Amino acid sequence: MTNIDLHEISEVTTKPHSFKQNPKRPKPPARRYKPLKQLISDEVKHLQTNHPDLSVNTPTYQSIVSPPSLKPQKVYCDITGLIGPYKNPANSLRFHNVEIYQEVIKNMPSGVDQEYLELRGANVILK
Amino acid sequence: MAPSKIKSEGSDSQPQEVHLLRDITPPTDSEPFYGNYEQGIPIALDIGTSSFKIGLTNSDGPSNVFDSVIARYRDRKALKTLTIVGNDVYLDSSLKSSIKTPFDGALITNWDYMELMLDYSFEHLGVSSDNGRLNNPIIMTEPVACPFSQRKNMYELLFEAYQAPKVTFGIDSLFSYHANSTGKSNGLVIGTGHESTHVIPVLNGKGILSQTRRIDWGGDQSQQFIAKLLALKYPYFPSKLNSHHTTNLFKDFCYISENYQDDLSNYMSMDVLESKDIVVQAPVDITVNNEKKKTEEELALQTQKRKEQGRRLQEQAQQKRIEKLIQKREEFAYYSKFRDDFPNLSQDEITKRLAKDGFDDLDDFNKYMTSIEKSLKNADSNGNEEEEVQIDPSSTWPLVDIPDDQLAEDQIKEKRKQRLHKANYEARERTKELKREQEEAQAQYEKEQEDWRTRDLDDWSTSKRLQLAELISKYKETAKLMESFKDRKSVAAQQRMKNIADLANDENGSTSAATRKRRRNVNSTIDNDPNDTFGADDDDWGVYRDISSVSLKEEQVVTNNQILSLEEELLKYDPEFHHEDTFAASQTFDWASSTLHKFIHGPRQNITIAMQAEGIDPEEIANHPEIIKKNHQIHLNVERIRVPEILFRPHIAGLDQAGISEISEDLLRRQFDGNFSNGGQSNSIIQDIFITGGLANLPNFTTRVVNDFTSFLPAGAPLKVRKATNPITDAWRGMKKWSSSEECESSYISKADYEEYGPDYIKEHGLGNVAFQ
Repeated sequence: MTNIDLHEISEVTTKPHSFKQNPKRPKPPARRYKPLKQLISDEVKHLQTNHPDLSVNTPTYQSIVSPPSLKPQKVYCDITGLIGPYKNPANSLRFHNVEIYQEVIKNMPSGVDQEYLELRGANVILK
Repeated sequence: MAPSKIKSEGSDSQPQEVHLLRDITPPTDSEPFYGNYEQGIPIALDIGTSSFKIGLTNSDGPSNVFDSVIARYRDRKALKTLTIVGNDVYLDSSLKSSIKTPFDGALITNWDYMELMLDYSFEHLGVSSDNGRLNNPIIMTEPVACPFSQRKNMYELLFEAYQAPKVTFGIDSLFSYHANSTGKSNGLVIGTGHESTHVIPVLNGKGILSQTRRIDWGGDQSQQFIAKLLALKYPYFPSKLNSHHTTNLFKDFCYISENYQDDLSNYMSMDVLESKDIVVQAPVDITVNNEKKKTEEELALQTQKRKEQGRRLQEQAQQKRIEKLIQKREEFAYYSKFRDDFPNLSQDEITKRLAKDGFDDLDDFNKYMTSIEKSLKNADSNGNEEEEVQIDPSSTWPLVDIPDDQLAEDQIKEKRKQRLHKANYEARERTKELKREQEEAQAQYEKEQEDWRTRDLDDWSTSKRLQLAELISKYKETAKLMESFKDRKSVAAQQRMKNIADLANDENGSTSAATRKRRRNVNSTIDNDPNDTFGADDDDWGVYRDISSVSLKEEQVVTNNQILSLEEELLKYDPEFHHEDTFAASQTFDWASSTLHKFIHGPRQNITIAMQAEGIDPEEIANHPEIIKKNHQIHLNVERIRVPEILFRPHIAGLDQAGISEISEDLLRRQFDGNFSNGGQSNSIIQDIFITGGLANLPNFTTRVVNDFTSFLPAGAPLKVRKATNPITDAWRGMKKWSSSEECESSYISKADYEEYGPDYIKEHGLGNVAFQ
């Protein structure tokens, strides 16, 4: 392994670039970090104001999302992922057989059931 | 203890193959520079959320492929902030904590990072300029249905910062399809990515964006899902898994199930699990405890020494006691002689002599003498043991049978004492007698059993087994009852609460005739209530048994003892009753039939339990190298198919979206003409199902798609499914191939166009997004 000089590597990126010399470049606005959710809602707003009569067939970032499934959903054990025909009425965890119930679900520390439910987005979110 | 001592069964005894947990492999050198830069040649940039694939279109493949990461690191010594991009961040482990990505999900959120990464990219492509501008056309990928703000920022960057002459954007999966097909073909592109998966129909070589569907699930989500699953599966796992570990687990061991329901139903059977279970070993450093174990001889020597010491101490104490005794005797002899002299001495002389020897007065002296006398007497009597003496009642206690009026006062006192002694003696005799009788009965019973056995062994053993079965069912019944007491809502617990409530209720609330009568009798207390008949019937006390659950435990212990003694008899005499048939044996853990065991520990016995069964010291078990290794192992089994299955059933991960196959079915049957006979639109599309993107490398992807599509297509439909030659870099190759086409030439946006029409403007082409109308 050759001797690595991080300063040298960094220099490649940060030095003045011969291909990026634009004195007239408008000073980039202070770019505010926007998380994904905000970018998407901004996009929706942008479309509503600038393209109010957008045809339904025009693909937008929001419109191409896969629609909810119409097929009957198979149920699986929350603990093992195997087929889960039973449900614990107390916290609606699904389980594969009586052993999983006896050994895992019955002795589950509080809160862990929500972690299992979170895997399939069925956890209770307190606000 | 050698691991060979651990019992295991049959052919399964070979250890499973152990895979090592892979972290990222750091590159041996920093990112190379491209040497063949020319101005005017289009530069193709596939800026994926996982990795950048970049190159000048005069090379065959992307000249640089690196992870889309950036690290900004403050070097305090040099007072400088370093900016390291791409695979170079893995060169130094100190950068590990500062690794960031410009993306959030599929979109770019940090444009400063993006600009730095583009600077880095162009530098490594060897770009040089004499006019301060980037003198190459840019072909770049963008998200499907790219939001306006994304493209606007990218335009700004390319046209204002780099002053690129012309720019065009396209969709990576479509470029990949373009690279893998000839002419204007029809097909369906399944593009799996790092953050999302798309299904894009293609007609005449043109992507139909309006019919495109996106599933918000990709490689990154899969990796995170594995991490969550493993954290729940091994909550006490000693080492922490990073995202590279889980990514590698996903890439190396996950595969797409050809038929998920069928696979799941037999995944835990021993022979399937044997071939599917994967053992992954996290790095662990086993330090052997160097402290030498003491051998048995040494231990024996040690106890010997300790005994010797004890004996010596005892001897010393004995010696001391004897010495003291002798001294006391001498003293006693001296003082008794002195006392004998008292009559010959005057009061004054006595007091003087007493004072001389340290006594306060005569009383003190007498006290001292009696105490000495007593201790000497004690020492004498200690020597000879008490013996069992044959007692004749009439001679030992003669006064007992004589009437009181014939006795004197003190004789009556004496008689009372004698009577007490006699009663004691008689009680002892009675218990002795009782014991003897019991022994006789036991012998009698044993003889009867023996006779029974010699007469008809079969009959004996069947009746004993019947008894055993009854006891076992009783034992289980009690266990169940005890278990149900734990649950507040169970029938047994509720009955108990009801009993308690009833008892409390009887005191006041009840209006029954008995209580009304009781109320009239106001003077009665709980202790002297004449109407209270509680206890007249023995069963009344059963109410306490109903309330307390302690007695259940006692009952269970008794039953268990009965079971054990019965089993002992059966083991002794019934040739067909073996250890395996005992109740205890049936209670032992059978790991091979335990789903949970197989899920967590794979198709092998848990060696910790095996070692415990052999009675090995717990501390030794905990420090055993095999155990330490075992504690750092992960077993992947159901997860191997569970995680990739989310692409086909997103609801497994709580995503309320249709999976790949359902989307495709809907597209083919309803959005297109649904005509699967010759000449139909859907017919031509299903002849080219194309899978690309990082997850296309999962084994069985094409087989699964064939299986799913066949299930909804009419019989004999000409289905063809294929995978990109290189699912990762083919997008770049498609860009290169496309760059020399006329379509590409006509879809470039020049800087002038941008300045005139603004950032909303694009020229549509077959492999890119569509403009808003």
